[in-house]
Amino acid sequence: MKVKHATIHAYWLMFVATVITVGIVTSSLLITDRISLLLDRQASELLAADLVLASSNEIDDSYREQALRDGLQVSRSLSLRSAIFIDDDPRLIELKAVDSPYPLRGMLEIAREITGSRQATTDIPERGEVWVDSKIAALVGSRIQLGEMHFDATRLLTYEPDRGGAIFNLAPRVLMNLEDLADTRLVVPGSRVKHRMMFAGDADAVARFKIWLMTSVQPGEEIQDLENARPEMRRALERTRKFFALAIVLTLVIAMAAIAITARYTANQEAPKVAMLRAFGISQLGLLKYYLRQLGTLWIIATLVGIGVGWCTQFALQWALDGWFGKALPQVNSLRPYLTAALVGLIALAGFSLPYLVNATTTPPMQVLRAALNRRSWLRGLLITGSAVVAVFAVLMILMQNSLLAVATLALVLACALILPLLLGWILRALLVSSRRRFWLRQYLLSRLRATSRGAIYVMSGFSLVLIAILLIAVVKDELLGEWQAQLPDDIPNYFLINIRTQDVAGIDTFLRQRDIEASPPYALVRARMTQINSVDADKIDFSDPRAAHSLNHTFNVTHAEALPDQNTIVEGAWLSDSREPAQVSVEQGMAQRLELAIGDRLTLSVGSQRLQATVTSIRSVVWENFKPNFYLIANAELIESFPQTWLLSALIKDANKADLKLLLQRYPSVTLLDISEVMAQVRGIVEKASIALQFFFLFALASAVIVLLAAIQTGKHEREVESSLLRALSANTGQLYRVHVFEYTLMGALIGFFSAAFASAAGWAISKYFFDMEFQLSASVWIYSLASAMLVLTLAGTLVSRRVYNVSPMKVLRS
Amino acid sequence: MAENNLCIALNRVGKTVDTPEGKLDILDNISLEIVYREAVVIKGASGSGKTTLLGLMAGLDQASSGEVILFGHDLTQKNEEQRAAIRAGQVGFVFQSFHLVQGATSLQNVMLPLELIGNGDARELALASLRQVGLESKTDTLVEHLSGGEQQRVAIARAYATRPRVLFADEPTGNLDATTGRQIADLMFHLRDQSGTTLVLVTHEAELLERGDRQILIESGKLLAN
Repeated sequence: MKVKHATIHAYWLMFVATVITVGIVTSSLLITDRISLLLDRQASELLAADLVLASSNEIDDSYREQALRDGLQVSRSLSLRSAIFIDDDPRLIELKAVDSPYPLRGMLEIAREITGSRQATTDIPERGEVWVDSKIAALVGSRIQLGEMHFDATRLLTYEPDRGGAIFNLAPRVLMNLEDLADTRLVVPGSRVKHRMMFAGDADAVARFKIWLMTSVQPGEEIQDLENARPEMRRALERTRKFFALAIVLTLVIAMAAIAITARYTANQEAPKVAMLRAFGISQLGLLKYYLRQLGTLWIIATLVGIGVGWCTQFALQWALDGWFGKALPQVNSLRPYLTAALVGLIALAGFSLPYLVNATTTPPMQVLRAALNRRSWLRGLLITGSAVVAVFAVLMILMQNSLLAVATLALVLACALILPLLLGWILRALLVSSRRRFWLRQYLLSRLRATSRGAIYVMSGFSLVLIAILLIAVVKDELLGEWQAQLPDDIPNYFLINIRTQDVAGIDTFLRQRDIEASPPYALVRARMTQINSVDADKIDFSDPRAAHSLNHTFNVTHAEALPDQNTIVEGAWLSDSREPAQVSVEQGMAQRLELAIGDRLTLSVGSQRLQATVTSIRSVVWENFKPNFYLIANAELIESFPQTWLLSALIKDANKADLKLLLQRYPSVTLLDISEVMAQVRGIVEKASIALQFFFLFALASAVIVLLAAIQTGKHEREVESSLLRALSANTGQLYRVHVFEYTLMGALIGFFSAAFASAAGWAISKYFFDMEFQLSASVWIYSLASAMLVLTLAGTLVSRRVYNVSPMKVLRS
Repeated sequence: MAENNLCIALNRVGKTVDTPEGKLDILDNISLEIVYREAVVIKGASGSGKTTLLGLMAGLDQASSGEVILFGHDLTQKNEEQRAAIRAGQVGFVFQSFHLVQGATSLQNVMLPLELIGNGDARELALASLRQVGLESKTDTLVEHLSGGEQQRVAIARAYATRPRVLFADEPTGNLDATTGRQIADLMFHLRDQSGTTLVLVTHEAELLERGDRQILIESGKLLAN
């Protein structure tokens, strides 16, 4: 009866492990598909389209015709700088003319007045109307002149999806109907106009059109898609996707470790039965068929239950994530998540169970029935390991496709799975030789742990793998999210003051200081283009990075600074120095990589009609998502201070100081205030939602870990009972038996905790550095969590589950 | 037979267990006495109750009825903890499947019962015991690397290491070939002769049966011959 009971228990654990695996895959695919869809749509909204073709020249209509033939929606916009007069003062504006159905993704938001409620709209300004942004809110209700025409400013434009990019350059927006533009006669030959043709449609059609577009674009035309949308949002979204990918892979690794351990446990339980059936003359093929039927039944039921669990879990995730960007998660109508989950369950179950099955049916019965004859076989070990590796690799490739993160995670899993047993075996041997004088209790425990027949090292390695994955999800997640959030503290600047004239810089500085408003140092802005590198025309250099063209085609702001700006770090060279040659420039690391710049390179910049040359003396890393003034190029003051320049600074303007803004703008009318709190709130929202979603994967990970723990404890239960009964026969008292188990589990916990923390720290460092591009601080908390949780959980669970062992009759040793 | 010379006494002992089919009597109304230095061999068919009887005499199990006296203590009145204390250092065991601690050396296995009872000379006594069974050259060998015969020698050395007053052996040659089994039997009786330890042996082996001072025959839980 006991054997039967144990067998049912083993199958039950394997069943639950498979259910969890299928459940993880189902829910993660369902939810990540939905999140991806939402993220893509959100990113699309940043472009107001799925794909944009931008040019300084008029865009040929053939693109539009092709897009329409491909079933895409098309919209056009033109933007240019112009001026309007407010109280007879000219005011620079960013004029944008759009046609219907702009925007193709996202919606405009308008209000009747600055304090009025916002309203999303699919409309664009009627002919003869303009909408103006909050910086010139006072114009709503009045008539303004643009070129040769007058317009009614009817609405306040409060949100414009594709307004982004170089946010420091934004002058107040005026939005008009494209059909009115010609009549204004603002666009004349030689005008600096930015033409945009926007495309949107279903993903396949957009992808097809993009391929055609890439082969058709002319010089000066630039394709913009989700990949080069607004940098601060794009990085947030990319990180979120990577977090999810990491969490899913790690959770899956734990679930598969649970299947592996339970498969081994089941095989051990079944071995005597298999040997007996073979001794009775049942053929290998017959046995294989019998067990394949059992595994098949288990897979079908576990898949159905797992899909049900995953399907239900998505609603919890949906509940947590709803409202991301203020929108509900879109529905995914596809069988792919369910079919993939079923396939993953099958691969995991087969990959981990079949080698044991083949082993059991091909091993001579006497080897099983007489354990003394049972010798380890390298071939069998290779079969089990090889099959597990193939299964893990197949599952990861199915789920992550060609993701580098998936391949790296597999490498990590393999490294752990191969190195951990060696390390654990080595340390147990080292501890064993350290003292041979006394056997009881330490040496006794170490001997038992080292005995391969108990599979202690195998179980410890499996458990370590699980703990490493949990640590990476939990602790490293906290570290990474923590650092990410630390880049967005509550007290970072929420306003940029731009277009500050040189003569106003000191006055504004005093104005802010008198009101205790925290502000960054003022930075001068000189608009420049990079034309030559080491006296070679930049557009003639063949760069390996396709993004190089983007860096060269755009004008960007060059500033000068005496001190290295906040959160900038010199990675190569030395910061600008007065003592060396005057023409020095510090280059941002990303730009340096794209343009293959090195220390000592000579850059030629064109500023208006003038040219200047400077030597690269340092390369800086910049935290772009910190919402502080950041620059690709910082020169020394002597080099650029003679050029026309405006200034900018960032400031943290609290609600109590908002009234002062009006006074500031009255006193310094050229200044434009740029409120970035909404963008910051969006990025913060992404971080918070990502964190909530990751908690769900963490729950799956914990559920798998419990299965691993139960399987691990169950695995040695029979041997432990026989050992306890032997010790009883040898006169051990209950206290001595109790100490055996407490010390055994504590020692296992300490070793598991130590190695898990070490591996998790190393993996955390690698993942932070290579996948999240973040600094990883070696954290004591990883070690504390790892050691404390492993020792506490194993000791408590182990001794609780083993409490029956103390009451085992010593007769068991006679009967076994 | 003098009362103080009695090592083990069973008085109308019965053992009943619960099964799905109802209560099953494994031993029924067994009474017998074993004096110190005696070598008693218990024989009987499989399932006759031999091992249960051995377990009751050694205090490894609790009788359902009757009295089991070991070294003057009535084991039926003691709990497992108290029975373990009575066994401590006074009772040795040799099992059919050896039951050695895997991953430990011969010496460590022999030291184990000595250290469990807090003997400070465990190492020296264990070495002496291993010398007695002819395994002085294998003291640091892991037991899983020993042959079956050698493993049973280690088990015998472990059983004798505490200088027990009585040694219980359950089919000690059952897992060994004939030649090795004979050597093990020789060793056990040789050590018993040297130490004067009482020996209670369960076996099927004809050779072992003949070497006992007395044979006890059990059949269907009843004592047929004593």
